[in-house]
Parts: sequence; structure tokens; C-alpha cells
Amino acid sequence: MERASLPFDPEACQFRVGLEVHQQLAAGRKLFCPCPITKSDELPLAFERRLRPTQSELGQIDPAAVFEFNKGRVNLYRWNPESACLVEADEEPPHPPSTEAVETAMLMADVLGSRVVDEVHFMRKLVIDGSNTSGFQRTAIVGLGGSLRVGGAKVGVLTVTVEEDSARVLKEGAQAREYALDRLGVPLVEIALDHVAGVPEHVEAVALSLGRALRSTGRVARGQGTIRQDLNVSLLGGQVVEVKGVQKLGLVAKVVRYEATRQMGLVKIAEEVKKRGVEEVESRAADATDVLRGTASPVLRRIIQGGGVVTCVAFPRFAGLLGLEPFPGVRLGKELAEIARTNGLGGVIHSDEFAKQGLTEDEGVALRALAGSDSGAALVLVAGDASRVVTVAALVAERVKRAPLGVVGETRAATDEGETRYLRPRPGAARMYPETDIPEIVVTDAMKARVGGLLPVRWEEKVASYSREYSLSEEAALQLYDSGDSGLFEELVSRLRLEPSVVAAMLVEIPVRLSREGVDESRITPEALGATLAAVDSGRFAKEAAVDVLRAIGRGEARDVDEAVERLGLKGMGDEELEEAIAGVVSRNRELIAEKGDRAFSVLMGEVMKVARGKVDGKKVSSLLREAMKE
Amino acid sequence: MPGLLGYRGPAERLLREAEASVGDVLEVQTGGEKVTGTLVPRYEHDDDRHIVIKLKSGYNVGISVERVSKVVRLAEGEEPKFVAPKRATGGGLPRVSVLGTGGTIASRVDYRTGAVSPATTAEELYSLFPELADVASITPEIVMSVYSENLEPVHWGELAKKVAEAVAGGQAGVLITMGTDTMGYAAAALSFALKGVPIPVFIVGSQRSSDRPSSDAFLNLIGAASMAAGAGFSGVYVVMHADSSDERLAVHRGTRVRKDHTSARDAFESVGVEPVAFWSREGIAVNAREAPPPRGRAEGFEARPRFDPRAALVKFYPSMPAGYLEAVLGSGVRGVVFEGTGLGHINAKSVEAVARFVAAGGVVCMTSQCIWGRVDMNVYDTGRDLLKAGVVPLEDMLPETALAKLMWALANSPSAEEARRLMAEDLAGETTPRTVQRR
Repeated sequence: MERASLPFDPEACQFRVGLEVHQQLAAGRKLFCPCPITKSDELPLAFERRLRPTQSELGQIDPAAVFEFNKGRVNLYRWNPESACLVEADEEPPHPPSTEAVETAMLMADVLGSRVVDEVHFMRKLVIDGSNTSGFQRTAIVGLGGSLRVGGAKVGVLTVTVEEDSARVLKEGAQAREYALDRLGVPLVEIALDHVAGVPEHVEAVALSLGRALRSTGRVARGQGTIRQDLNVSLLGGQVVEVKGVQKLGLVAKVVRYEATRQMGLVKIAEEVKKRGVEEVESRAADATDVLRGTASPVLRRIIQGGGVVTCVAFPRFAGLLGLEPFPGVRLGKELAEIARTNGLGGVIHSDEFAKQGLTEDEGVALRALAGSDSGAALVLVAGDASRVVTVAALVAERVKRAPLGVVGETRAATDEGETRYLRPRPGAARMYPETDIPEIVVTDAMKARVGGLLPVRWEEKVASYSREYSLSEEAALQLYDSGDSGLFEELVSRLRLEPSVVAAMLVEIPVRLSREGVDESRITPEALGATLAAVDSGRFAKEAAVDVLRAIGRGEARDVDEAVERLGLKGMGDEELEEAIAGVVSRNRELIAEKGDRAFSVLMGEVMKVARGKVDGKKVSSLLREAMKE
Repeated sequence: MPGLLGYRGPAERLLREAEASVGDVLEVQTGGEKVTGTLVPRYEHDDDRHIVIKLKSGYNVGISVERVSKVVRLAEGEEPKFVAPKRATGGGLPRVSVLGTGGTIASRVDYRTGAVSPATTAEELYSLFPELADVASITPEIVMSVYSENLEPVHWGELAKKVAEAVAGGQAGVLITMGTDTMGYAAAALSFALKGVPIPVFIVGSQRSSDRPSSDAFLNLIGAASMAAGAGFSGVYVVMHADSSDERLAVHRGTRVRKDHTSARDAFESVGVEPVAFWSREGIAVNAREAPPPRGRAEGFEARPRFDPRAALVKFYPSMPAGYLEAVLGSGVRGVVFEGTGLGHINAKSVEAVARFVAAGGVVCMTSQCIWGRVDMNVYDTGRDLLKAGVVPLEDMLPETALAKLMWALANSPSAEEARRLMAEDLAGETTPRTVQRR
């Protein structure tokens, strides 16, 4: 393994990663209502909600919950009756859960050797970032324990749960977020794995194996974003950081590497803090708006002129520590800026970067005087709208106070670039309570037997059988399996005369190519793929034109293969027409053939293909042309 | 939480043998496996063959008693101690009385067991709804603990007396928290019992219980409290969400309001009139067309809190047998409100029974199951026959309001004749003279 990819030895540093994989199910309906699972392009209806933390029996409120409430956030939900009803709008209690979804979770538990519980209890897991209209996610444990085979090793399975997917984020602003309700309530199965040594490539391999095991049930949704991985990352036995929403499998290793570096960087910064003998971090906040009214810093000037305020928070004996960069890009100052951004401000300015931000030395002196601090202190300026600044200044002080801890347990989001950014504090354990609107499900022997009868062939065997039966290379067989279209493959191979390797290649390559071009992959349905390949099979157009046909369908320019053929002018070429074209080219090039013999072939082929491209298979053209050239 | 809440039969026996109580940490052994977690209560209606354990992760799982080989009690559960966070107490602000009837508008969740318990003191209310301290000085009182569907006329009477006490005690306004099912009936009943009340009385509830982050209780309570403290009008009203958003509350006249949706936040609607006001964080917008009465003086106000429950609401339906109606009329009731069809009809074969009941001193009134519009019993023969039989047509009065009014009228009239006269008279805005275009 590539230990070199980490700036430390993962084993010596007890670097651990626990995977949680969320897999959308290919189900006929949502988990708690009969709404169909479909993405709505138009969202004509809307409503606005504010979520509030609820208080536990002990008078305590979940820290993550308070955090969201402090942000005073308004959530705007947009929806379309075609893809959501009053259940998603939190205007009607949930209906009984989809039996299909619960049984699929049981099936996945079986696949992973997980013990199905005797009674399934749905819980409310508080999530008040607005991603669920109710303020909680409904979730239930279906299986406990089990293991996943990864290569020769085994990774423990902790739980198999069935739960509802969150609303789709449309827009993320400081004070308001917009969500679409079409995805809310789509059934997901979550598999939580025991932690593994944090070797990035190994973690990615585990995620890949788990995805394949789930796919073996034949009940997973296809397409991007239908499988998401969360990572629980920790090192040196420190606090656990939850990284949410890695959308692509190929990013897992990168995210692990980023988070490893960030965490180790924070540990090194903590060591520096301790070296200075700081055990308890003090802080002092003062309003610095007046001091900075004539400031040279363009950012601050703009904020103050716009009616904003500036709070200066001083941390004695911290000078130099906010800008300290043990690894590239890892700084305490950056952590503070992320907290500010999550809370509706543009960032913070700290004393290690005053000059860079255009603050003069005199201003630095004035600020220190204001805060009653000497040059050994670090200053953090929090600037912006008055309603935000006080909260953010308090959060910043809170974060710096925890610097001696090194890594602080928190929830972060994975970015598309494979980095992580601060989202919110980690929710406490006390964030789950029973969903009283849904009766528990007693798992009967009949249910177990029914699910047991659905147990699929293991994915490794399936892939091996593809190589064996259809003479696919091992890689091609794996790619086919991972494409999610292997069922379609089996069906097409059984009824078409096309070579299995050709069918496999088309099913794997065309969707990937179109997706890269930005074509809406939800339109490249199994039906569209099947119809296109059948048309190639019957000679309506050449296999080279299949991608054009599917592109036209994917872009909405054609409703089906017939329309695409019409639109692209792909009227196939009859044998007679082709032979005529070949004869014409051959007779026009008699001299060239005489002169170059077989070496003239590629020139002639090019000429024939000018008229035959997309209409006739290239192979057929070449064999006919070779014959014609011999004559 | 002591004992084995909700456990019966084999499950209870198993737990008793292990000397386990709800809240204890248990290790449940099943064959070769173990599950460790907190024992949580079981719901009354669930079977007696499973025990429910809350895992460390927070999830509950049910374990079949038949599979359990041993239960080991690892630790005793700690009784949760509630410590209300310190809050300002709304000192110096207008005083508002909050009367609780048992709806869960203000409650806390015990995450350990999932139990929900109501807030009963001012401190708890302030800690649940910190904004309350900014709008009013609250005096909460749990008057009763009854589900909305179990509320009876005697409870309406008790509430009316409590409101009268609040008026005499100089409260600026009163909030009554209540389950929403029969809120429309209660609002109508209090409108008659508290006719002329000089302060605003707001009945509030929630369609999503307050143990959820998305509850509508928060906005309903804060908005109603701020109006109870500061609104310039008086009377009895229902205050609930105006639409699906947490933005605007509608103030519905107590005699014209109906629950028109089983579950949505904006279930309550003003029928045949407009809401008298809307509240939002920006302020109160009073609807001048509905002209709610201004606040008055406490002196001289007297509640008339008595109700006679011997009245029935009968919804006529096609093929209703004469025997059905006779059974109702013979059940000891003193009066009946019909929800007739269309302009106010029941089938011809029932007319004679009605006539006999009226002749014997019964009070019979007619409303329409159409909800919108007004009865008119002069248009068709059956209507004229019913009028002749002594039925009192109630214009555009809502059927539920008519029932509450009849119970009140029967208790506050010396004779059937007087009760009929009261029914026909507009006392608290329960009928309107003009039928406006339906929105």
C-alpha cells in the first residue's frame, strides 16, 4: 500500500477510518408515502420553515441543534406534487413504511451476514440543518453485526439501517437555504462498518467492495449520487471527525488523505500551544468598529461603510499560532475562517495576516491597546452584520480554546475537490428518540424466509462468470458489473446477435462518455440503452452511431430511438446501396489501387465511410471493400 | 421512571426475573450474541413477546423473548433530573395567563426513554420558548389534562370560569392551549360563555407536536402571547398558522372557525368571514372589515359558564331510518341540531318525529352540511314542512358552533321558547347577515 501518500505512519498514529455508506434503493415508491421516485425539473410550490431545537428531559439541548438554531436560519422548500405530497411537506404523518424497502434492507443484511433484528423500530434522528422538513431523519436498525470481504480480509459490519433520504439542496445561503422535496423520503440503506486502518487506498477498496456487495441484490438505484459515503476519521485515539457526503467512490482516498493531513497538522499545532505552556486558553473580545473606521484594509472598510461591525478577539500567548502551517494549507486560522463562513460571514482576519489584509502597523497597535493585549497575543477580527458577528466571535473563541486538544470532534462536508470543510459541531448521543407515528415491525419467520429466497449470487462469482461465459476480460467484467447495467447486459446478450464484448463495451462506455459531456444521465435509461443496442443489432445504424442516438435522447432532442434516427438522418444503408458506393469508390481509384495495392485500402476506406458512417458497421464496410479491391 | 412501563406477559416475567426496570442498562444474551443498552418503555398496544433496548448509538431494537437466554442488569438507571436553564422572566411586561388543557403544545423529550412530558411551570415555558420572555409576563396554569376529543361541556365551563378570574385579576390576555380536534367547538362554546369579555382570549394548539423541531407550536404560542399582551381588540379567537409556512398566523373568530384539514398546519379556516387579523413577526394586521371589538373594562363583565350537554348533532344521510332519529330524540336530549342537506333538509319520513319532539318541548335547529352558504327552508316543500314542525333555521351558522350554542342556550334559558329565541339571535358573530363570495 502507498504509505508514502500520508505524511505519517497510519499504524503508529492509530489513524482510523470508519465508513458509512448510504445506498439509494431502486424502489417503486418512497419510504413513508406512495410518491414516485423522480426528479422534478419544475418546482412550482414553496413554503418556508424555521426549525427549533427541542429540549431533552434533562433540560439539555443537543449542541448541533442549538448551533443551527443560533444561525436563525430560514429554510425554503420548493416542490412539485408529481414527486412529493404532504408527508414530505411535514403536513401529514408518515404512512406505514414501504415493505419493499424494509425487505431490501433485510436482504442486504443477509448478504453481509448481519443478524436481522426481531423487531424494527423507527427512530427520529435530529437533523436540523433543514435537509428534512420534520427536523429529524427517520431511521431504523434492521441488522446488527456481520462482515464484509475485502480481498482476503474481513471488515466488521456494525449496523444495517433503512432510512429516508434528505431533501435536495438547491441553494445554500448564509441566512436561508433552499431545498427541493423530490429526493426527500427516497429509501436508503445505510451500512456502518467497523473502523479500518486509515490507509487511503485501502479505505477506498473497502468502499468499493461494499458498493459491489450491495449491488449484488439487484435492488440499488443507478446513476451518480445514488451512493454516498460518510467517513468517521480519527487519529491517536483523539476525537472523531465525521466527514459527510463523499459523492464519488474515486474521491474516498483523496478525502482520507486530506483529512489525515489536516488532523495531524492540528495535532502539531496543539504541540506548539503546549510548548508555550498554555493550558487554558483565555480570550477577550472588544468592539473594534470605531478603531477601524478609517482602516486601510479594503475588506474591513467595505464592511464598516456598509453598516457592519467588527469584533476583535484577543488570545494571549497565541501570536504566530494562527498562521502556523505544519503542512501546506493546514492552519488554525483557516479553521476559524471556515466557522465564520458556515455562519454567514466571509471569513476572519487574524494578526498573523494583518499586513497581507492591508492593516497598518498603527492599526495593529491600536487593536492591541483596545484588547489590552501585548504583542504575544493573537488577534482575530470578526467583521460583518451585527446579528452574526457576536455569535461568530463566540464560536471562534470557543474553537481556539479547544486548540490544545488538537483535533476537535465535528461534522465536516466532503467537497468535490476531495477536501473537507467545517459544517457544524458533532451531534451529541442524545439525538434519537422513537418515531411514535410508525408502529414497530415484527420480523416474522415468513418474512425471513421470503427474503432468504432472494439471496443473490456473490458479486465476485458473478464477475467471474461474466469473464468465463462471455469471454470478457476480468477488467471488462468488473466494469460491466460496476456500471449497474449487468442485468440489462444479460438480457441483451440472450436476445441479440451482437458480440457480448461489444454489448458490454457499449453499456459501460456510452453512459460514462455522455455523463462527462454533461448529458442528463437519468434520461439514459435501461430502456433507451436496450432499444439503441437492438437497433444496432438489426442493422438500422452502425454501432458507432449509438452514442449519437443516446446523446440526442439524453439531451431531450429525441424522445426515443426512432425520433433520434430521424433527427440524425441515420437511415441505414441497404446492402445494395453500400455495394454501389464501394464499386464507385473502387472504380474512381483504379490507378491508386494498381500503384499501391493493399496499401491503398485506408484511403479508399475513408472515402466509403464518408457516406456510410453511422449507417453501416465499419467492419462490414471493410470486408466488402477488401473483396471489391481484389476483383 | 420506575417499574416496567408497558411490559406484560412473558416479556414482563423475563425482566422481573432479572430485576430490571425501565432505564436500567442491560446485557441481553441470545444464543452466542449479546446486545447491551438501556431498557426503554413499551407501548401499551404492542405485543408482550419483545423487549426493547436502546443501543449506545441511540437506536432502539426489539428482541424476541423466545431467543433470550439471559438478561444481566449491568447498571441501574438514573432518574433524569430536569434543570431549567436560567432565563429572564418577562418582568415589567403585560401579564398573560396561559391555561393548559392537556395538548402537548409545550413538552420536553426524554431521549433516554423517548417519553414526552409537558412543561408545567413558567420557568419551563420560558426555557422552551425563550422569546416568550420578550413579549409577556406569563402565568401558566395546567387546568386539566384531557385529550381534545375527550373534552366536554363541563370543561368548557371550567375554562370560562378561569378566564373570568384572569379578567378580574387584571391579566392583559389569556392563552388557552388545547388539542386541535375539538378546538372549533370549544372556541364557539367560550364565545357564548364569555360574551363581552374585555380582553383577548386566544385558543392555540399545534398540528405537529412540540417535541419536534418542525412544530408549529412555537410560532403559534409566541404570536398568540404577543397579541394577548398587545393586541387592541377583545373576544375569543383561534390562533393558528395561516398557511404552510412558519410566517403568518391567522386569528379566527371563535364562532366562525372550523378545522378543515386533518393534519396540515393551516387546518383552521374562517368560514363565511375573513380572519379578524393576521400576525407575523412584523406585527399585527387587523382586518377592518371584520371589526373585532376593542378591549373593554373589567368591571361589569360576567361569564355565563354553564352548559347543558343534553343536546345532539345529527348529520342527515340518504336513507336515514326514522327509527334512528327516534332513538336519538328519545335518548333524553333536550335539543337537536341537524346537519341537513343543501338548503336545510332531512327526509320527509322524519318530519313527523321532529314535530312530536318539538311539541313535547324539544328544541330543533337546522344547519347545512354544505358548510358554505346559508340554509333557506322556504324554497322546497320539505323545508316548509320542517318550519311548520317548529324547526329553527340557523342561517349560515356552522353546525359545530350551533351545537355548542344549543348546549349553552339550554343551560341559560328558563324555557324552550327562550332557548329557541336565543338560537335565532346573533349573539357572538355566529351568523352573518350577508353571504359573501366564497374565497
